[in-house]
Amino acid sequence: MSAVAAKPATGAAMNPTAMGIGVILVLILLGICWFVSPTVGLMALIGVIIGGVLIGFGVHFVPVGGAPAAMGQAPGIATGVAMLAAGGGLAGLFGGAWAAAAGQTPIVVIITGGVGGGLMMAITCMMVNFVYVFGMGIPAASGKVAKDPITGDSQAEYKSQGTEGHGLPFVSFVGGVTGGIFAGAGGTLIYLELLNLYEGALPTLMQLKPEQVLPIAISMAGIFAVGMFLVNAVLTAYNITGTIEGPHDPKFKRWPRAIVASAVASALCGLVAILIVLPLPFT
Amino acid sequence: MEQIVFGIGITALTGALATVAGAAEDTESNIGSQGDPNSQVQLAPQMGFLHRIFNKAVAGEPPAYGLWCCLGAGLAWAFMAMQLNAVLAIVLGSVLAVFVQGVYATTAYVGRTASLSKFGQPVYVDILKSMTTVTMAHAFIAIFATVALCQLINGALGHPFPLPLLALVWGIALGAAGSATGNPYYGKERQYQNQKFGAGVPISASGNIVRYAEAGERNSIDNGWFTAKIGGSASGICFGLIVFLELWRTKVGAGWGSIAIGVLLILIFTVVDRYIEIWARKNYGPYTEAKEASS
Repeated sequence: MSAVAAKPATGAAMNPTAMGIGVILVLILLGICWFVSPTVGLMALIGVIIGGVLIGFGVHFVPVGGAPAAMGQAPGIATGVAMLAAGGGLAGLFGGAWAAAAGQTPIVVIITGGVGGGLMMAITCMMVNFVYVFGMGIPAASGKVAKDPITGDSQAEYKSQGTEGHGLPFVSFVGGVTGGIFAGAGGTLIYLELLNLYEGALPTLMQLKPEQVLPIAISMAGIFAVGMFLVNAVLTAYNITGTIEGPHDPKFKRWPRAIVASAVASALCGLVAILIVLPLPFT
Repeated sequence: MEQIVFGIGITALTGALATVAGAAEDTESNIGSQGDPNSQVQLAPQMGFLHRIFNKAVAGEPPAYGLWCCLGAGLAWAFMAMQLNAVLAIVLGSVLAVFVQGVYATTAYVGRTASLSKFGQPVYVDILKSMTTVTMAHAFIAIFATVALCQLINGALGHPFPLPLLALVWGIALGAAGSATGNPYYGKERQYQNQKFGAGVPISASGNIVRYAEAGERNSIDNGWFTAKIGGSASGICFGLIVFLELWRTKVGAGWGSIAIGVLLILIFTVVDRYIEIWARKNYGPYTEAKEASS
């Protein structure tokens, strides 16, 4: 079919075949992991997949306006989806890793990571509105909804002529913080799962004492967590196709696609991260 | 107690360094026109508006700063392993990372501008010579401050991540905070200074960026001078607050305590944001009548 003959895609439409293939791929990758390491490795991979899905889901909440937002032509934060989500989520990972090193329980570590991501996004979103209002004299207005779903503020009359809106309406601010919390918690969960695995496997593999391998385990888990974070954030950026205003944007309904894609990508990346320390059963 | 006071002192110092880094990063990206407003710098010649603005946006600010800060920190870490003094090692590492930034800026400007040759946009060698060094100087400040704060977090506060990984994390966060806060000010207020104040740029005006200064043609150093006042300082405050509060909540409370402080801070920023939004609606008012707008 030529591009001219192709029907315009609605964007939110789901492809059941592709979703089904995605689920089967995840199951195959889980099966491979179960074959290699039915206990430690499989649990780590499940944790990594959940973390990746949390990141993929969370990025949909982040209001990103891209280049049009930088000219006050569209609402949202004036940067890329993957960039901003990575900034927020990695700030969360930083806090989570610190809590893990202090010997906190896993639930505290993951929540600390989530709150770190949320705090970064709250400060950034507040400063975006600060610059729009006090630096440029422009009030916040959404281009996608007539009224803010949370505050009920009308939006249309606050849009300046020839634009689709500007700044961050309150619902977008809340979306940004929510996205940061999900992304930070997901990144921290991936880090924690891989750290536990490496702490257990590396002493045998390298013939060293556990305290000697700790810096290596932390570095490897941190690098893999950052890498998987970027994988999931970029995948979601493709799903969003550029810009999104937040949870009230019609594009938000595309999240199930990203969940499946994130699960497959995280399962594959996670399997690689696990296989580098676990010996294969047939060697 | 002494340990907590020491920790808070180091936290304050890292917050100050982050503020400097944020301000320098935004000014550097505006001089290099690296953020999202660069779309207009690239678009202008295609619309017939030739200009003398620097143009080095090949990657977004977050991955670019992630690379440069990580590179600076990795080299500094290697120098420190060679028993070099930490301050000297960070300076040397940052200098070497800045050379990479300079190569990036040069190739990006030449490559991007050459792609516009069919629209008649020349590659100005004098712009290349004068702007690149200015962006490098600002990048050095941003990279040095970020690597230094990472060294404090790692060495003095005891974060488990090694120095290069910390610098990657905070470099990406620096680029994200700087581009989010600083880009609208450069994109709307500076590039479209000919448009009405207090309103977004109409989509129909895209590409018609301001190309003339008080005397002669405008260049990117003029843009850096203009945006450093509000865009740069706002970016600095943003990144400074992120680093300071993230460290502070961990130093003051531990476990659930730091989570409670974090949630409280998020709520405070939510209230401040809502206040700013309401203040703008009350003081600036709507652009059109509500009835007309909804029809």
